[in-house]
Amino acid sequence: MIKSLKDCTVSGPFKTLPSSAAAMGFSLSYQSDRLGLKVTDAGNHADRGIFSFGFSAPQVRPINCVITGWGDCDQPGAITESMMQAACGLMSVHGRSTGTIQPFGLPYVSTVTTALALQGGMAAALGNLRGLSVSESHISMAAAALLSTSQYIADATITSLSESLPFGDADYSPAPPFVSADGIVFELETLNPDPWLIFWMKLGISRPLAGKGWTAFLLRYAKAIAPIPDELVRAVSKLAYTDISRLCADAGMAICRVRTLDERVDNEHFKSNWLRGPWVFDYAAPQPDFPLIPASDSLPLSGLTVIESCRRIQGPLAGHLLALLGAKVIRIEPPGGDTLRGMPPVSEGCSVRFDALNRLKVIREIDIKSPGGQEEITEMVRHADVFLHNWAPNKALELGLDHADLHRVNPALIYAYASGWFMNNEGISSQSPSLPGTDFMVQAYSGVAHKISQACGTRGGTLFTALDVLGGIIAAQGITAALLNRQLSHAGARVTSSLLGAAILLCSDDFQSRHEFFDCVPPVQSVLNQVFETEKGKIAIECLDEDTLQRLIQALDLPSGDENELSQRLDESFLSRTAAEWRVILQQAAVPAAIVMEDLNDLYGDPCLQPYLETGSYTRVTSPWRFQ
Amino acid sequence: MSVTVIVPTILRSLTNQQKHIDMEGSQVSEVIDHMDQQYPGIKEKLVANGDAHRFINIYVNDNDIRFQDGLATSLRDGDVLTILPAVAGG
Repeated sequence: MIKSLKDCTVSGPFKTLPSSAAAMGFSLSYQSDRLGLKVTDAGNHADRGIFSFGFSAPQVRPINCVITGWGDCDQPGAITESMMQAACGLMSVHGRSTGTIQPFGLPYVSTVTTALALQGGMAAALGNLRGLSVSESHISMAAAALLSTSQYIADATITSLSESLPFGDADYSPAPPFVSADGIVFELETLNPDPWLIFWMKLGISRPLAGKGWTAFLLRYAKAIAPIPDELVRAVSKLAYTDISRLCADAGMAICRVRTLDERVDNEHFKSNWLRGPWVFDYAAPQPDFPLIPASDSLPLSGLTVIESCRRIQGPLAGHLLALLGAKVIRIEPPGGDTLRGMPPVSEGCSVRFDALNRLKVIREIDIKSPGGQEEITEMVRHADVFLHNWAPNKALELGLDHADLHRVNPALIYAYASGWFMNNEGISSQSPSLPGTDFMVQAYSGVAHKISQACGTRGGTLFTALDVLGGIIAAQGITAALLNRQLSHAGARVTSSLLGAAILLCSDDFQSRHEFFDCVPPVQSVLNQVFETEKGKIAIECLDEDTLQRLIQALDLPSGDENELSQRLDESFLSRTAAEWRVILQQAAVPAAIVMEDLNDLYGDPCLQPYLETGSYTRVTSPWRFQ
Repeated sequence: MSVTVIVPTILRSLTNQQKHIDMEGSQVSEVIDHMDQQYPGIKEKLVANGDAHRFINIYVNDNDIRFQDGLATSLRDGDVLTILPAVAGG
């Protein structure tokens, strides 16, 4: 919690939001409270969009933060989580590994939207403190959802011919997780092919087949699929979990059981993490001669400099968001450039998946392992506002680039660490698992994978990199909060976030339901949340209450019946018209419905999404924020 | 053995923008040596310390050579050798 932000206020209609916005209201309230902001209920602000909230900081004009569904396309009626997952491509990315397009059972777009909205409000206030005159920050759920899938959109929409990844032709199971002979569901993880090969050979799998499995395993991050050969899945299913764990230990491969949320929410350690929120802040002493750095253009973080040394998704996305807010981001890459620049597909000499997160940055190639390189970084940091990294635990200390090292040369620095598991600033908690800090490990450990499996009827989580993306967003949000705090208190800070923190944020309503820590009601489950086949295309329906379900039944002219009959009748009825026709009918009946975007190439064709997309050698997702 | 090498976009500046190259060699390492003679500089992009570079994947007919005999993987007439940069993310 940032004590210095206690004079900042978030005021919104938290107690009067409709059920369709309850998840957003709860998440926004939780995030604000954990940042140390004063949260007040201020009646209904829904003059525009879904709702709006005020963000006020001392000495500057307050910011009206507006959250809409589709931006200018909003029409009367509820806009729900599942509509957004369907219309913006999240469901289809999630469904790639299971073969079934369906909602993935988390308030994902709602959480991402509110995190970005709160960040927008804080950034705008910071901009005002630095000479701007911003009165409004606007974000839509659609923009937030598209931002979440920007790498997949880049991959799908490349216009030039590029290399494709080998899929192999083996029979395959849909995806990990694996299941042991004693019925335990688990994930495996390694970033290196050697442990993978050793492990599978111990199970009697041939080298070529293990190789096919490795190729499939690599596709998880690139394509959100994992066509693991059936032989591997069967081999591992013949052993007990303890035996598999032992083989993993021998081979050097990580293993994590898919744990239930129930196992997590009653755990005292989890409780303290939840009560702290997804960030850990430490403050340096206030600087008496802290200079005012004026904004250099109309964007709120313009004039500020961020030094980023990050790889993969979480850290680079955090840097990208700060760049979208106007910061100058200098990205440190190893000599010769980040190898992921060549990750297929490539256009104009650069991986489009890489470009989607790094296109706005200035690149500096520096060998961070050399004394000269470390000296160069330290010198760059002397004049920077933020240093952001996502190195492995303890690496910063080894490199002489830890927060203490860099605060010595720049006491006003915001030192940010976007980690996998890191949950406190005193060292890795003894209760954090010694597992690789990757998306799918954290999903399994945190209960997120199990929650998704319960909603989807699958064994595990999603191969959409949900936590990497949300982890990047909360890292950028924490940095923005620390920058605002610095402007108000003239103190630098260290801010640590993690994928595990992102997982906790994503499931914060589960904890609230159990422990009722806050004075607010967590969102309720929908009575119907399903995707239906139609004559042409699929349609996602989300009925948040019984009244809406009855309106759906009337709109479809169905007789009343029991639940099983209703399900069958819905399946049959939706086949009689196209998804586009049903959308019009259901809009009139005030039933939340959206056409499922099955092909990410079609996103740009939706006029409601076009304002957030930009075509070129691939389709780029533009800034989710609009400031006035 | 006559094989076809599929060159990734990122290395085509070294192969005069050619995507497919016909090469001779009985092992992957021989093919890479022959490529380097014809297109100097490509070997150092593919090989480090006597092995395929960690961030490069080389497939013979869709089979990753790290799960065969590495650079000593033998080739037959008509094989397709695909070079791909790193594919992992996350």
